[in-house]
Amino acid sequence: MEKIERWKQRGTLAIRLLLLAIAGIFTIFPFVWMIVSALKTKAEIMDTSVFFAKVPQWANFKSIFSDSPLLHYVWNSLFVSTLTLALQLLFGTLIAYAVVFMEFRGRKLLFAIIMGTYMLPTAATYIPSYIILADMNLLNTFTGLIISNCVSIFGIFLLRQAFMQVPMGLIEAARIDGASHWKILWRVVAPMTKSSFITFGLMNFITCYNSYMWPSLITDDPDKSLVSQGLRRFFIEGGSYGTEWPLVMAGSTIIVLPLLILFAFTQKWFINGIGGDTGMKG
Amino acid sequence: MSRKFNWKRWCSVMAFVIPALLPLVVFWIYPILRSLYLSFTDWDYMSSEYSIIGFKNYISLFKDTRFYEALWNTFIFGIGTVIPTIAGGVVLALLLQKAFKGDGIFKFILFSPWITPTVAISIVWTWIYEPDVGIANAVLKFLHLPALQWINSSKTSMLAVIIVTIWKSLGYAMIFYITALEKVPKELYEANALDGANSWQRFRDVTFPSISPTTFFLVIITMVNSLQAYDQIQILTQGGPSGSTRTLLYMYYQLGFEEYNMGQATAVAIVLIIITVILSLLQFVASKKWVHY
Repeated sequence: MEKIERWKQRGTLAIRLLLLAIAGIFTIFPFVWMIVSALKTKAEIMDTSVFFAKVPQWANFKSIFSDSPLLHYVWNSLFVSTLTLALQLLFGTLIAYAVVFMEFRGRKLLFAIIMGTYMLPTAATYIPSYIILADMNLLNTFTGLIISNCVSIFGIFLLRQAFMQVPMGLIEAARIDGASHWKILWRVVAPMTKSSFITFGLMNFITCYNSYMWPSLITDDPDKSLVSQGLRRFFIEGGSYGTEWPLVMAGSTIIVLPLLILFAFTQKWFINGIGGDTGMKG
Repeated sequence: MSRKFNWKRWCSVMAFVIPALLPLVVFWIYPILRSLYLSFTDWDYMSSEYSIIGFKNYISLFKDTRFYEALWNTFIFGIGTVIPTIAGGVVLALLLQKAFKGDGIFKFILFSPWITPTVAISIVWTWIYEPDVGIANAVLKFLHLPALQWINSSKTSMLAVIIVTIWKSLGYAMIFYITALEKVPKELYEANALDGANSWQRFRDVTFPSISPTTFFLVIITMVNSLQAYDQIQILTQGGPSGSTRTLLYMYYQLGFEEYNMGQATAVAIVLIIITVILSLLQFVASKKWVHY
């Protein structure tokens, strides 16, 4: 009996592994294909029977680094994302603290407004937001990009969920001891909810780093492009389209690979943060 | 309010609220109201003068076959991405439910598309879909299936965009379900096993009801995302060929930022908002019936 049971278990594990392997191959294949294509010559890439390049064309990568502005776009994205995230974290923390721990009239209304905005399609705001930035002379500037994106409604939610787990008694005790809200926030609340801050940071950094639609609408100066817009320009302009596939793939690899490496080291935070803080307590 | 107004307290509340509230009003709330107003005008962005034309934008929209095409495409794209993403996410999470050596690598691989820029991976998929020398058709040929024109034909372009979207979001749904499955109380399974239930019955009677809040949440999130899909459409097809992948959001983009028809564009935006609100309300009503918290 025991033997049959063990074989049955092995069988189900094998089926599970097989199904997971199929899903895994489907998922990883585009990345693999991107990297192997980046190392091919122009002739090799047009022949689907060639999987690996005969001689890896590392020169493709070299030419991206030396002749294309892609690294400049990476720098732009890093710069804008870092500043945007800093503001999103600061502003989000403050308002989440106020909504959870402070008593004032209109608190519920305030939260209802934030919640309502979360559901709405952001793109519906783009035309008026564009006009506002144009009126402020902030089109084609990093300032415009950063201030129009300095509040993260998702982040406010995430922190609110985390703050609500902090025992109210702790806050009251600190208040009685004469601590200011500012002090309580950073000395009591923030240390207890550190993991939500890390999740917030990683998720929003990635979102901002990758963002495409809004940045491409408000900047047409090639010098100010973020990676997504820059990569697209590299893809369609400069004669790249259709003829320079190895270079296009090398460019994509240079953009995608660092993100995959970053993810490999921070996977835990993404997975815990995404799955855990949905506001749905099971 | 018999109590005296406490200025000091009010100031400290404002100091916490204003930094986020100000941008929220300027770049979210005001623009939505402004969009509503603009949708009743004939503004073309270039001229400083415009007039209020009532419901004309909406009437001409509702007479435009392009609008119904876009509405239909949005519907197909929504159904075609939301259902497979959620069903696939459950299946993958169930496959990973019992820990085994090396399961982390699967989680890593399956989730990785979500963190990469949609633009970069859409470029890669454009290359995969290339009709003559792309690998997608090479695979079909290997399986003795007829080659497809993928993003070059209006018959298959929507399918191609949907595949990329599912590929990108499957891991995201999976992660939510992995956490949800961990939270299902063990006693429920034990009681179910005592009743002699098989694995399908166990899923139907214990697992599915227990993870219904996650399903509800994911349906809303993936639906809102599908209404807002832009990056992959812009790279793969630009709404074409012949409008076959033009969703409402893409139509909004074309009307506003290509044709500068701000009145019509904002009218589409308002329709988009109304659809989102209706779908969210419908789901909240439905959730009362079958979501078990």
